[in-house]
Amino acid sequence: MMKKTLLATACLALGALSQPALADLAVAIAGPMTGQYASAGDQIRRGAEMAIADINARGGVLGERLRLEVGDDACDPKQAVSVANTMVNRKIVFMHGHWCSSSTIPASEVYNEVDILMATVSTNPQVTERGLDNIFRIMGRDDQQGMVAGQYIAETFKGRKVAVVDDKSAYGKGLADEIAKAMTAAGMSPTLREAITAGEKDYSGLVTKLKAAGVEVIAYGGYHTEVALILRQAQAAGLQLTVMGGDTLTNSELVTAAGPAADNVLFTFSPDPRKNPEAAPVVEKFRAAKIEPEGYVLYAYAAFQLFEQAAKAAGSTDYDALERAMRNGSFNTVIGTLSFDAKGDQKAPGFVVYRWQGGQYDYAR
Amino acid sequence: MAYALQQLINGLTLGAMYGLIAIGYTMVYGIIGMINFAHGDIFMVSAFIAITAFTLLAAADVTSIPLALTFVLIVAIFFTSAYGWAVERTAYRPLRGSTRLAPLISAIGMSIFLQNAVQLTQGARVKPIPPVIEGGVELWSTPAFTVQIGWTQLLIIVTTVALMIAFTWMITQTAFGRQQRACEQDRGMAALLGVNVDRTISFTFMLGAALAAVAGVMVTVYYGVVDFFIGFLAGIKAFTAAVLGGIGSLPGAMLGGLLIGLIEAFWAAYLWAEYKDVATFGILCLVLMLRPSGLLGRPEVEKV
Amino acid sequence: MSAVVFAHHQLTPTERLRDAGWIAFVALILGIPLIGLTTVDVGGRLAVDTRFGLLAMAVVAAFGGRLVLRWAVDHLKGRKLARQRAAAGNAGGRAQQVVNVLGWLALGASVALPIVFSDNRYVVDTATTVLIYVMLGWGLNVVVGLAGLLDLGYVAFYAVGAYSYALLSTQYGWSFWEALPVSGALAAGFGILLGYPILRLRGDYLAIVTLGFGEIIRVILVNWTEFSGGPNGISSIPRPSFFGLEFTRRPAEGSDSFASFFGLEFSAMHRLIFLYYLILVLALLTHVFVSRLRKLPVGRAWEALREDEIACKAMGMNTTNIKLSAFAIGAMLGGFAGVFFAARQGFISPESFTFTESAIILAIVVLGGMGSQMGVVLAATLLVLIPEFGRNFAEYRMLLFGMAMVLIMVWRPGGLLAHREPTLRLSADGKAARGGA
Repeated sequence: MMKKTLLATACLALGALSQPALADLAVAIAGPMTGQYASAGDQIRRGAEMAIADINARGGVLGERLRLEVGDDACDPKQAVSVANTMVNRKIVFMHGHWCSSSTIPASEVYNEVDILMATVSTNPQVTERGLDNIFRIMGRDDQQGMVAGQYIAETFKGRKVAVVDDKSAYGKGLADEIAKAMTAAGMSPTLREAITAGEKDYSGLVTKLKAAGVEVIAYGGYHTEVALILRQAQAAGLQLTVMGGDTLTNSELVTAAGPAADNVLFTFSPDPRKNPEAAPVVEKFRAAKIEPEGYVLYAYAAFQLFEQAAKAAGSTDYDALERAMRNGSFNTVIGTLSFDAKGDQKAPGFVVYRWQGGQYDYAR
Repeated sequence: MAYALQQLINGLTLGAMYGLIAIGYTMVYGIIGMINFAHGDIFMVSAFIAITAFTLLAAADVTSIPLALTFVLIVAIFFTSAYGWAVERTAYRPLRGSTRLAPLISAIGMSIFLQNAVQLTQGARVKPIPPVIEGGVELWSTPAFTVQIGWTQLLIIVTTVALMIAFTWMITQTAFGRQQRACEQDRGMAALLGVNVDRTISFTFMLGAALAAVAGVMVTVYYGVVDFFIGFLAGIKAFTAAVLGGIGSLPGAMLGGLLIGLIEAFWAAYLWAEYKDVATFGILCLVLMLRPSGLLGRPEVEKV
Repeated sequence: MSAVVFAHHQLTPTERLRDAGWIAFVALILGIPLIGLTTVDVGGRLAVDTRFGLLAMAVVAAFGGRLVLRWAVDHLKGRKLARQRAAAGNAGGRAQQVVNVLGWLALGASVALPIVFSDNRYVVDTATTVLIYVMLGWGLNVVVGLAGLLDLGYVAFYAVGAYSYALLSTQYGWSFWEALPVSGALAAGFGILLGYPILRLRGDYLAIVTLGFGEIIRVILVNWTEFSGGPNGISSIPRPSFFGLEFTRRPAEGSDSFASFFGLEFSAMHRLIFLYYLILVLALLTHVFVSRLRKLPVGRAWEALREDEIACKAMGMNTTNIKLSAFAIGAMLGGFAGVFFAARQGFISPESFTFTESAIILAIVVLGGMGSQMGVVLAATLLVLIPEFGRNFAEYRMLLFGMAMVLIMVWRPGGLLAHREPTLRLSADGKAARGGA
């Protein structure tokens, strides 16, 4: 008797555990949850968790609750492929990620093979240039970003000496090359073209070189950590530098690390979703949960809104239907209206130039 | 000319820092013949200790810079030596007397462990402090360019030279130095003659860690930004410096450090900055081809 | 081993407590700066935060852990001593038999694996990664384990292989089968190129120069954009085909795909399983190749060189050629592994070929027991699987990895399967007899 009740309870418990799991629809995020760029992974996770909670509160997608899977690739291409295969095993239908272009590219081939849709924020042009039909980019491309930055420099800093510097990463070099190209096209040739090694601490050599050449502005392709160091060392050497960079400079670590010198940092980023009046309720919700919706937080939120709406439009979560819906539809998200071209790039990405000011960033005038 | 002088100052500062870390490698190598791959990470730990100490001082409203520096140095040296001791005790001592490569691998494991332990306990974000010492002296002013040496740069070069002299004196003149050299030459014989080999080796590790701690404090003061990844690159460069100078030789480590600092500075200043590391390693290969045991190293005499 | 052997004596409880107390004290000192104190970012400035509760927990854990560990170690040591006394003698031979049985078991398991897990991408893919590392380990084993030349830049040859395949296939349209031998040969060429100038160097000087060589190759790959794609790397690398049959869902007009040719329903798993078997076959060939080499004069010369270089010279052996052949063969195997890596990823970039990668490959060789082929398999499996299993521990993953490396080394300083016996030895009656491979 005792045994039977136990057995029955166990069965019930098992059933209770496994039942909702079967009805759940698995979606995933992947990015650098550990390692050097862990803060970006953190932003993505917070945005995604909030989005999934909200969607489930609305009754899920096509009547099914969403379950979030999190993959950590540490921005290492080899691990990215492993993460992709894990996600395939977990039968996900939609992936928001990866974050680093060098992880997104190899991972996307896995997703492509087994028909999983992905929406990424990786900005390297190669991400959508390979003719894969499962990849959509909800962020602009480095070449668009570089063009905006290059033109801004050519207009704003006319007649001043500008150096173009990159950190030899896929992202940094791509961006710096595009900025240099756009500057040249606008009739301003860079005084110096330099490269540094990311992860080093000593950039006094570069600063001396800039000082000797009379450079006042640098266009920088790379991450915020190095920008902070360059600015500090320039200040110590008595050189007032203005830095123009890309979307990675949204990270508030830059301000902590560079101190007041951060006020000389300009960067390009998509129009601030926090300023989008339609996003206001979501922004409020994040702030109420003590999460500042900076950087990639709202992008992650928007990626799942995109999925929700596309699934609704397609009426199913089958790959073909969903892919068609995503390519042809237009979706209203917290980062604005999203629609995609044949390659999977966002149709109207638009980049805006921002400036850090007293620890906050705002449109540069 | 002014530009070259400024790059010379930059190169010397960087080289002095490499040299400080390289001495730690060279001392450990000298005494137990192993490459302590975790040394760079011990240096990184000390930089984190320095950041914490500086922040504590700032919270306590200490404004006197010499007082603050002394306090931070003492704190960093104390805790970092403890780390040096613990690393030797857990990862290397049990392997003494086994194959040459076993301690090398456990050192690599230790290095991965320390990096991740710091990342976990202190966070992956970069840790900045406001500039501690500002300003410097203008050495030479031409209309086009002003050569200046920062107080911090001066401090680093002076400290390094002073430590170098102190250590050379200690190794050549004191009782500990004699014991240390005895262990280097023949551990078994030294033990028979009453030298406490274990203690000497432990102490050598602590001294190496203490030097790394000085370098860690200097880096914190000079750059003002620290993250858990700084040990890796600095470690590799310092190791290269130690080998270039002849591993096992104290002045060699210093010379190697300065040379690498200067090569990096001048190569990046006049040639292609992106191939800086190729130049460093290329010159290392050249030197080793001509002098297989480094610039100041003693050639190994081998008997069968 | 230390010269002094202490009598085995049972520790009293007070001694145990004092010992654990000492460890707890050390943990306290080490813990204060990293666990007890931390700095947090408050509005753009750092402030110190204290976590003494956590520190206290760590100290207590160290105290308790030491007590238990010490007790367990003593206990085991006692039993081990007793066992050794009982079974002194033919331990080496038995260990060899166990290793051989293990080897056959591993072979059986690796052949059966894709059949059992035929719809589990993750398992097959991870197994492929393990095999890539096994290949790398075997290659480096020739250089480090057999010839005794410490190479810290082995990743350079891995990179040469991967880039050769990537460039030959994307730029010149070579197929996998054409590119494979050429990539191996190129890597071997680089091995000789590196080996030649540095033959005079010994031990750690050799180590640093090889490290430098690895970095030089990586820096060139990063900077020479026209050649290697720079930091962007090379993407869309074609996957190997099944004797001309592509693994695609929709084959090009007028040609068959693997699935349509055999009348199967398309599954993306076919390609993965094919790649897995491909590398398995190549790995087995490598194993046979290296085991044979060890019994040939050149293999014996490597081991002789490892044991004593001066004696080799005195015997009139040509150490230059011996070293170069070790470098070349090791590099070639690394090159093959690189080709498979590129084929698995479909994308390569310089960041996959950093020093850390060299360190991990070296760790595989040393952890496995230098010179032991089976040891490499065991260590490669461990080092790939620990971080994978650790995915559940997320941020503790690499911490555990580092700790495991130290602990395994301390536990078995000679490696997991350590018994460095010569491949050939003279038997009692003077004839050459085969020893362990």
